[in-house]
Amino acid sequence: MKQDIHEYLAELEDIPGTRIYTASRARKGYWINQFAMSLMKDDNRKRFKADERVYLDAWKLSEEAKQALLARDYNRLLDLGGNVYFLSKLFSTDGLSFAEAVSTMTDMTFPEYRDMMLKGGRSPVGNRSIKGGY
Amino acid sequence: MARITAGVASSHVPLLGVAVDQGKDRDDYFGPIFVGYDWTREWEKQQKPDVVILVYNDHASAFDANIIPTFAIGCGESYKSADEGWGPRPVPDVEGHADLAWHIAQSLILDDFDMTIINEMDVDHGLTVPLSMMFGQSEKWPVKVVPLAVNVVTYPVPSGNRCWALGEAIARAVASFPEDLNVQIWGTGGMSHQLQGPRAGLLNREWDNKFLDMLESDDDAARYIPHIEYLRETGSEGIEMVMWLVMRGALGRRVKTLHRHYHIPCSNTAIGHIVLEPAE
Repeated sequence: MKQDIHEYLAELEDIPGTRIYTASRARKGYWINQFAMSLMKDDNRKRFKADERVYLDAWKLSEEAKQALLARDYNRLLDLGGNVYFLSKLFSTDGLSFAEAVSTMTDMTFPEYRDMMLKGGRSPVGNRSIKGGY
Repeated sequence: MARITAGVASSHVPLLGVAVDQGKDRDDYFGPIFVGYDWTREWEKQQKPDVVILVYNDHASAFDANIIPTFAIGCGESYKSADEGWGPRPVPDVEGHADLAWHIAQSLILDDFDMTIINEMDVDHGLTVPLSMMFGQSEKWPVKVVPLAVNVVTYPVPSGNRCWALGEAIARAVASFPEDLNVQIWGTGGMSHQLQGPRAGLLNREWDNKFLDMLESDDDAARYIPHIEYLRETGSEGIEMVMWLVMRGALGRRVKTLHRHYHIPCSNTAIGHIVLEPAE
């Protein structure tokens, strides 16, 4: 009944276009996520907006992470261990809706993404497994 | 004696809170979502529960990347609405029920659930949106709330089986509380949605409805759905549905369905809502 942890973690990597927030991503992205949490305070949001680079330099972030944050490259940030619930503090600071921010991670424009959602969303068919292709 | 009289499940999409706060809940986009909650709002007025045990997940609001409790119970007197990056939602403070919460916490620990206890925290949309859906806009929430936060963000999250068993243990704990209280348990989050990566926007009407059918049945097969099935079929954030199993587990083997509602989409998410009562 109890699943082997290695088998469990391997399965999580077998989903197309998805980065499950595993312990290894959480460790890697710790300071990206803690930086994002700091934007829950209005004073910090103001300081960040005043000079993003200076604000980022105060955190233990790699240059790559800082560049990805400055560019709002959310797929890159997921690869670097960012988690969407943490990164959503940055969406909000930018005044972006969750759906608009999420759409930037897909190959669609926001109007195209919104239209797909209104028509029932992305189908799971063919999107369930990389290895299985189903 | 305290008793669990009903279980409610609902999605907790933050945009629903925005719709309520800005009075857009009856427009063309949100109307078809909110109409599915009208029945429940009337029913809640008649039921007048004293306390809601509200199972939800914190979205990096009260808990940051530093401390990650798998199951945490709020034992405080009251909770404020969290600032999630655009200022706190303009909703009343949430009043706790410290006596019941501490009783449940102690009982659960003796029952082999090693709970994290929280005295002070802010609560985010995961908790306040379901209150708005069931009670609308209000000067003061008409119930006290015992927040029960489940980690569904950092993997591994608890198994469906463990969530169901937690619900069973909560029911035992409530039944041993001496005060006469009408208690509801709510499971929140879901249904299918994925908020990240190129696969974002995935929805699965068929699977979601199969899950709702399972919750209505006498069978407890839903507790054994593995994480990977939620993730493949319902998107990375669809895993929140394990929190509905805490609610279902607390209701006993047989339930009666009082109300059910499903709508696609709200923002990135499929909206599901069900009201069940114990039938044994």
